[in-house]
Amino acid sequence: MKPAAWLAGATLAGLLAWWAWPGRAAAPVAVSDAAGRSHLALPVAAPAVPSRQTGAPFTDAALRERLAQREQLLQRLERARVTLATYREQTRYPHESRPIAEHPDQLHPFAPIQESLPLRFPGSKAAVPGVRIVTTQDRVFMSGDEVVKVSVSAQDDAGKPLPLLITRAVAFDLPDPRQVAGRPQLALNFTGNEGVYSALFQPSQTAFSDFAGTVRLQVTLSQDGRQGVVNFDVVYQPLVPAEWGAISDRVADGSLDFVVGLNVKQAGRYVVNARVDDARGEPFALVSFNEELGNGAQTARLRVFGKLLRDAAPAMPLRLRDLQGFLLLQDRFPDRAMLPRREGVVHRSGSYALKGFADTEWTSEERDRYLAELGKDVAQLQAQLGPN
Amino acid sequence: MRKILSRRFLMVLGAALAAGAALATNYSLWVNGRTGGGVAGNYADFTYWGPAGTAAGVNKKAVNWDGYNHISDQNYLVRNALDCYCTGANWCYVAAHSAGDLMIGYTLSLYGGSARYKKNASPGPDGACGNTDGSTQTGWNIKWVDVAAGAGGGSELANAGDWALSEPLVADLKTGTARALYDHNNTRAKMFYMWAGAKGTLYSFVLPGQDDEAIAYHSAGGISGSGGGSYCNPSDWLCNDLTLGTAPAEGGKAKWSNHSVVFRDTGEAYNHYTSGNWQGTVGLVRADMVNYAK
Repeated sequence: MKPAAWLAGATLAGLLAWWAWPGRAAAPVAVSDAAGRSHLALPVAAPAVPSRQTGAPFTDAALRERLAQREQLLQRLERARVTLATYREQTRYPHESRPIAEHPDQLHPFAPIQESLPLRFPGSKAAVPGVRIVTTQDRVFMSGDEVVKVSVSAQDDAGKPLPLLITRAVAFDLPDPRQVAGRPQLALNFTGNEGVYSALFQPSQTAFSDFAGTVRLQVTLSQDGRQGVVNFDVVYQPLVPAEWGAISDRVADGSLDFVVGLNVKQAGRYVVNARVDDARGEPFALVSFNEELGNGAQTARLRVFGKLLRDAAPAMPLRLRDLQGFLLLQDRFPDRAMLPRREGVVHRSGSYALKGFADTEWTSEERDRYLAELGKDVAQLQAQLGPN
Repeated sequence: MRKILSRRFLMVLGAALAAGAALATNYSLWVNGRTGGGVAGNYADFTYWGPAGTAAGVNKKAVNWDGYNHISDQNYLVRNALDCYCTGANWCYVAAHSAGDLMIGYTLSLYGGSARYKKNASPGPDGACGNTDGSTQTGWNIKWVDVAAGAGGGSELANAGDWALSEPLVADLKTGTARALYDHNNTRAKMFYMWAGAKGTLYSFVLPGQDDEAIAYHSAGGISGSGGGSYCNPSDWLCNDLTLGTAPAEGGKAKWSNHSVVFRDTGEAYNHYTSGNWQGTVGLVRADMVNYAK
């Protein structure tokens, strides 16, 4: 584009913005206002308009069309403002240092997954009435010598325990186009206690020790002679890509960093996260790391952002809890090789004065880029809407 | 003084707009679900969705993957598309259906902060684009994500073995696996707008609460935590309501962060399937993309 054309365009846009400014834009949308609404009503039909007066510049149809267009612009403006407000609010802290309340299902990552399902066989057109099968499974992804624990029990619709019999329990590999499937099935040993049956499965101690993929633990059940099946899947990867090292903490760039040592045996993108509790054990942050690491002695920095500390004002010292990590294996399945879980409190920070941490919002090229673009969308729509 | 400054700010912004307008392009990316159908890397192939001539947002592109293999195996196709159209000066709106929700959620959660080469939006036959100036940026330029019948929380039909075991994707769609695959709350501050259908009848004995015949409300509505929760329309007094917006469901269970339910199917009129013609809740998302993805 020629410079003159750029200049003309810029001038025109500037004049439009000037013309559109005073009193024409509604107040910015606060994210708290946006929360809980459905946001996105589709553009409505054109509102009814009074019959035009003699000499009016538009026909009724044209007027309706203009009103419909304006209504649509208003709705687009609403979406644009919610998008901007949400982004601005969500990025006051960096993506890797978040209030734990934003991650409700990451609070206790090692708690068993509990599910309830009907008793039935696959493909059957109905379930056994009045019977719910309750299952637990303490992990899905596992590596090396990790052990998965699963359990199964039966209840009626009111939650009252029902007697249950396990008639068959086996482990087998699920089909995978990249490898020969159909290793011999392994029998699983479930033991019962007050109607709850549980089993442990450690792939590294079985014929699956060199297998990378999904292993299904399939349990056939009988409740008062009525049968069904439940499946537990684990994604196993023999490789343990790194070992945990020492953990320390330090104040850096106005934030508190937990520095987690790693002895990396296979380089690549590592995903590490942990919870941060205050001195009373109250959870308040989720901190994460997702970056490439080379071989050898490395560190993963888990940063508690300064402003998050200032805003939440947790009681010091802080506790780093439930540390987990894996090597992300790009474009493969399994897509990760797990490090051993570090359950419970793995490190206590020093006691730091909160006022020693920065109270400023996160800044980055990424955030600037987004705020500029989303702000531009709002400004453009406001300009298109013109005066009320 | 403040008003004068604001005017000046807008003038500067306006100038920037005009300068950038010649370079920046918005795109609408459609990420399919299970079964696929479109040719991977061919962004004009809308076989999965319906007639390619149908309006579906500005500069629409079909982000085809096979809908058969694991999410992780196929994810490069989505990253290729995002690199092509959502870097540099270009920005994207994303629409996803069913397992496409799991796919885009996985992408943003695990790769959303990675360094991306800025691309030229001119794909080769494999769907990959060339670099512009060799520079990189953090993550992709995505304004928001629309999701029809999202399978981010999995489906009980995968749990029970009703879907073919031979499909690797079905293992990913098991509720426990889908929910453990990545932190669904980490959308990198993008809103996920959710449309949940409820016309399902065939599998109501296995899919808890309301469903669209493949996906229950707990997934389509972005409910966090373990799968299996029963969520319904307000007319059902025996079941907790799936609320609209970002508020927790009745009973207190939170939605994943940045997930907002736009539509719940109180008329039980929308099933899971596109039927080769942009049908089901995909039709509602298409209308939203037409109206808002400009």
